[in-house]
Amino acid sequence: MNINKLQEEIRNVFKNVVSKVGKDNRIFLNVQKEQTLNILSFLKNNGFDHLALISCVDWIKENQFEIVYILTSYLLDDERSKTHIILKAKISRKNPEIMSVLPIFENAEFYEREIHELFGVVFNGNNRLIPLFLYRKYEIPPFRKDFDTREYSKNFYDSVLPVEDREK
Amino acid sequence: MIEERELELFYGPQHLGMVGNFSITLKVEGDKIIEAIANPGYLHRGFEKLMEYRTWMQNFPLVCRINVIEPDSIEMIYAMGVEKVAGIEIPERANYIRSIYLELARVGSHLFGLWAYANMLGFDTAAQWAMYHRDIILDLFEELTGGRVYHIYINPGGVRRDFPKGFKDKIVKTLHAIGGCIPDYDAAFFNNALFYKRAKGIGAITHKDAKELGAAGQVLRATGMKYDIRKVEPYAAYDKVDFDVPTREDGDAYSRIWIVRDEMIESVHMIFKLLDMMPEGDVWNRTPNPLKWRIPEGEAYVRVESSRGELGLYLVSNGEDKPYRVHFRTPSYTHGLPILEKLLKGANISDVGNIMISLYIIAPEIDR
Repeated sequence: MNINKLQEEIRNVFKNVVSKVGKDNRIFLNVQKEQTLNILSFLKNNGFDHLALISCVDWIKENQFEIVYILTSYLLDDERSKTHIILKAKISRKNPEIMSVLPIFENAEFYEREIHELFGVVFNGNNRLIPLFLYRKYEIPPFRKDFDTREYSKNFYDSVLPVEDREK
Repeated sequence: MIEERELELFYGPQHLGMVGNFSITLKVEGDKIIEAIANPGYLHRGFEKLMEYRTWMQNFPLVCRINVIEPDSIEMIYAMGVEKVAGIEIPERANYIRSIYLELARVGSHLFGLWAYANMLGFDTAAQWAMYHRDIILDLFEELTGGRVYHIYINPGGVRRDFPKGFKDKIVKTLHAIGGCIPDYDAAFFNNALFYKRAKGIGAITHKDAKELGAAGQVLRATGMKYDIRKVEPYAAYDKVDFDVPTREDGDAYSRIWIVRDEMIESVHMIFKLLDMMPEGDVWNRTPNPLKWRIPEGEAYVRVESSRGELGLYLVSNGEDKPYRVHFRTPSYTHGLPILEKLLKGANISDVGNIMISLYIIAPEIDR
């Protein structure tokens, strides 16, 4: 399937989707958070059956989180296997909630658990949002931009960093 | 809730059949596993967060510690990501050197994997050979880069230095020494009936399940699919060299370990071809002063085929001298969490180590 044709089809089926083709067949789609499930299932039916990664970016100045889904295809000898769809949905930072994509992609479970633990995003529909990596609880989820690692270790371990010593 | 005839068993980080700092909680009935829960996090160092505090170049010593056995593909992918966002071209010779270097690392990593697997099954002789052969590959790395385990050799814009004098001959000599021992490996390990009996049918995954759970690398190729990112989306000099992608049909531990052997041989042939084709010229295009280097706003997703499967990097820059967000998609993450939990369900307790090591998981890659 041709990439331009696919893009046209997405634009026809879904309104409010902003799409842009980057270098090396990377298609960037900006969608509303309510649309993600529909678009992901549409893409899966069109051959994009490999969810490579779910990521999260903390845009603290805009007061938003951006959930990023990266999809590609397992079809060999097809243009789609070289194409990556980078689908991005913005959610508010105050009340970070989004639908889980578990009904569509089975391997999303652990990515969602990781983002829940490190960013505090709640994935509705994922019943296994239990801690994955971390040992203790943090007031601010540690991968958020307002969590300062230096400040935290200073307060928690009561130690002064050698870097600061040198600055004095 | 645990019923009366079930027992909760902690398969801990100190166990012999373990792939590193990683543990599993098993719910067993007799010697049959009913449920397995993976517990990663023993090696969680928060690299992705730490990288947001360091400049683009300062991050290289950090990224290679994500995969201890094969740090080279992680260096490669970070350099590729930086090059893509910053729009840097690299010289032709550097592409070839990168490919040779990555293939050497693949052979070394596969030998380490073979050591772990053979050791777990009790084939100590073949395991010790594999360890020795990995060691002579590390000698090559030491001469080329100065480091045995962590090399930090690939830089944005190319590689750190050219091959030293007479290095080509040393590669050829070392690889001939390893290739000459393949019949011995076959006799002692691969054609051994005990290997067949212990590995055949263990941890089998179907093609549909493997795709559904996002598998790549040997796990997917063992189910009969020729899926290799070096072919699908070539990087470095892989589009200029001809090579085969070995596959098997059964999807079990036996198939996965045979693929490791076949891939190793394929990599050795590829290195010989690349050495012959290598052009002369520069190996590094000058990049700006690393202390003041600001990379324009942008984002990229790049991926390479590491020795364990699909390795990806999502990189976001906001125009500063540090990355805004880095996220690694590591192959052990999918193989070691969803796939492992699925394969262990219904398996026998004595096969836990067998399944884990044949999936080729490495714990630091899961935790990052």
